[in-house]
Amino acid sequence: MGRSWWPQPVTTQASLMASNWLLFLCAGAVVALIIWGLVAFALLRWRRKRGAATTLPAQLRTNIALEITWTLVPLVLVCILFIYTYRAEAGVEALVPYPDVTVAVNAYRWGWSFGYRGGPTVQGSFSDVPQLVLPRNETTRIILTSSDVNHAFWVPAFLFKRDAIPGRITVFDLRPEKDGTYVGHCAEFCGYAHALMGFSVKVVPPADYARWLKSGPS
Amino acid sequence: MKVGLRLFLSSGAFAIVIAVVYWLLAREPAGTILLGFLAFALSFIAGYMIVAEREADLWGDDAQAKNTEAVGEVVGTYSVRSPLPIVSAAALTCVGLGLVVSPTIAVMGIIAIFALGALFIVQSS
Amino acid sequence: MTTARATLARQPRADLLSWITTTDHKRIGILYLTTSLVYFGVAGLLALAIRTQLARPANDFVGVHTYAQLFTLHGTAMIFLFVAPFALGLANFLLPLQIGAPDMAFPRLNATSYWMFLFGGLVIFAGAATNEGAAATGWTAYAPLSEIKISTGLGQDLWIVGVFIVSVATILTSINFITTVFVYRAPGMTMWRIPIFAWEMVATSLLIFMAFPALAADLLLLFVDRNFGGHAFDPAYGGSALLWQHLFWFFGHPEVYVMILPYFGVISEIIPVFSRKPIFGYTGIVLAAFAIAGLSMGVWAHHMFTTGAVDDPFFSFMSFLIAVPTGVKFFDWIATMWGGSISFETPMLFALGFLVNFLLGGITGVMIASPPIDFQAHQSYFIVAHMHYVLGGGSLFAIFAALFFWWPKMFGRKLREGLGAWSFWLLFIGFNVTFLPMHFMGLEGMPRRVYTYDATGVLPLLNAIATAGSYLMAIGVLVFLWNVVVSAFDRTPVGDDPWEANSLEWATTSPPPEYNFDRLPPIRSDRPVFDARHPERDPSAVR
Ligand SMILES: [Cu+2]
Repeated sequence: MGRSWWPQPVTTQASLMASNWLLFLCAGAVVALIIWGLVAFALLRWRRKRGAATTLPAQLRTNIALEITWTLVPLVLVCILFIYTYRAEAGVEALVPYPDVTVAVNAYRWGWSFGYRGGPTVQGSFSDVPQLVLPRNETTRIILTSSDVNHAFWVPAFLFKRDAIPGRITVFDLRPEKDGTYVGHCAEFCGYAHALMGFSVKVVPPADYARWLKSGPS
Repeated sequence: MKVGLRLFLSSGAFAIVIAVVYWLLAREPAGTILLGFLAFALSFIAGYMIVAEREADLWGDDAQAKNTEAVGEVVGTYSVRSPLPIVSAAALTCVGLGLVVSPTIAVMGIIAIFALGALFIVQSS
Repeated sequence: MTTARATLARQPRADLLSWITTTDHKRIGILYLTTSLVYFGVAGLLALAIRTQLARPANDFVGVHTYAQLFTLHGTAMIFLFVAPFALGLANFLLPLQIGAPDMAFPRLNATSYWMFLFGGLVIFAGAATNEGAAATGWTAYAPLSEIKISTGLGQDLWIVGVFIVSVATILTSINFITTVFVYRAPGMTMWRIPIFAWEMVATSLLIFMAFPALAADLLLLFVDRNFGGHAFDPAYGGSALLWQHLFWFFGHPEVYVMILPYFGVISEIIPVFSRKPIFGYTGIVLAAFAIAGLSMGVWAHHMFTTGAVDDPFFSFMSFLIAVPTGVKFFDWIATMWGGSISFETPMLFALGFLVNFLLGGITGVMIASPPIDFQAHQSYFIVAHMHYVLGGGSLFAIFAALFFWWPKMFGRKLREGLGAWSFWLLFIGFNVTFLPMHFMGLEGMPRRVYTYDATGVLPLLNAIATAGSYLMAIGVLVFLWNVVVSAFDRTPVGDDPWEANSLEWATTSPPPEYNFDRLPPIRSDRPVFDARHPERDPSAVR
């Protein structure tokens, strides 16, 4: 398990999502500890003691100031969270005007095809998992669609997934920052071989990528 | 203004606001139409309740009402037994099943529904 | 009048015919509760089969075809046939009693709803007997996967018909509930004196009425596509694959609150009784329920962030807002316990379990309402964990709380306290052992609805732990069943009001007579039974 329970981010976009996650994780932990703490305190402090005189506790019903406070404070909190979320999402979804690499990804039952602009098309099914090769520190534009049912392109190490929907084209950018081979899954249930509908992503230095593109996939 | 009316008026108004805001922000037809239908349905009920509540005089709305006369079976009349519910539910299920499995079952279900409707009219007249 | 009552008193009989022709809301309630618990048992067994398959990677306990049917039927049954209908059954039994009415507004319609619910569920399960098996597209049945080109089996059609029948029954019941509460309240039972549970059921009914028609429309379109050559969801003919999701989630998200608001009501009834205090912030809790109901109509596409085709900020913000009224309820429950005299009978234990588990489900809910987090979490085991913390750790624990709390009223005898504590601890520990690891599975990259997973890394260990937890939960349920059996032989009468409770159902006998009340206490606050027990106190006092 990685830091703060996420895989270590390996793309520029993933770093934005990781810091957003960290914010929510901290906020969530604080809220959970406060509320669980209040519950635990109340239970310990006011548990009915055996044999104690059975007098009725004060029948307090309302306290307007208190109620307004615990409406407004969470409201402010979620507004702050929303601002951070909005910024993070804008960064994740921003598209560069001129991507270095463009790959058309098509999902189908049950495999993937990766068509490189000005290069080969790599295809593979669940019995022969295909590999997507991406250059490091360059922006890749993914043009995603599906030819039958809904699928989803998910690379957990990129902290990102996007649905592949028939009849729709979805576009996003990825900018990997670390060399390595990463696992990818289909994340939208698409029938029996859904669990096996994987792929892998290999991030390589730009020079290696150019060489690979020229010589074609081995 | 009674609570029920206020409930439907405010939820109708809320649905209208959400529908408009959603259209302005998202420009997405499916959701806008759904929210539009929602606003229409809630406003329709609110409109009905404006008329209906004018005539309603419920003892449940009287905070000081005495309830000694309101116990047991004297509060309205209600039927204790009826074969209609299970048979009509079975007939409706037959219609649905019939559409999938065989038209004969569907036709039987439709006939049963009409028979039940006739029986219901005879019973309640 | 005496003769009229004597005639009525002769009516109740225990034979089969009297049960299948009954229109008594209490009997219909018990039928609903029993049926939904049977469906829960079946769906729970399916869950055990799922967990057994996932106990280790590349397991061959069930085949891949069976596995898809297992999780489809598990989700469908838990959602459409258990968590939501259980609340309808509970409300059927309780609502007229709580507001001092003799029955529901439309008793025969009420019975019809029940039978449609029963038959609809059977139709869904009937798919398992067909050649190609039951529906296998998940409880969400996303088109175009569920279209005839891909899912050729009869099971999918039976699923559509069954869910349609259940959803129509649910809409009819919601109308019945709203009318009953608005019109049939006893003298003095003004709207601002009805119990919180009744308010939550009004909010739930409003939600059902607003959301379920979208589901019915969605199912109809799919049915026409499959059987009569429609193309609503087929992009090759100008249809839209996204339309299914819009219609489905326009229903599907409010449905989550249909499955949780009634249980907020249950918790709001139980905590005051075992804290010996009135519910804190009655008005605030009621307004929060309607705020949740209203907002939940504008959040459906937070299930669609990863489509890249919806207005993420709008849906994200609306979803965040729901945390505010939910938080209000939490603070009100804590304030109810604050300064009280708290005792830990089984209903209270389960209510506290609800508080602990549901809070975690709520917090992860806020997390995945943030699109950059959802991009990782969506359709992964993180979602599975989140939703089970809401519906399992939340609703299911409230369901057990309700069973233990109202069992004496329904059957005139208590469930055993000792066995109750056993089943609570088994379920509580089992639940958290099962579902806490799922958060980490999801973040590590395990998609949901898979029958196998990566054999390297932490996934095998986490899955083995989760499977062990699920067996622990099963033992907890068995202890509950044993409790039902042994307490059935218990002949100790419990009296009208064994918990020293507040609301009107505790003013009549246990179980209540067919016409509900021989006499009603004066209703001068939201706690008529408390007021009757404490004649020295002024009912309108706020302290
Ligand atoms: Cu797929």
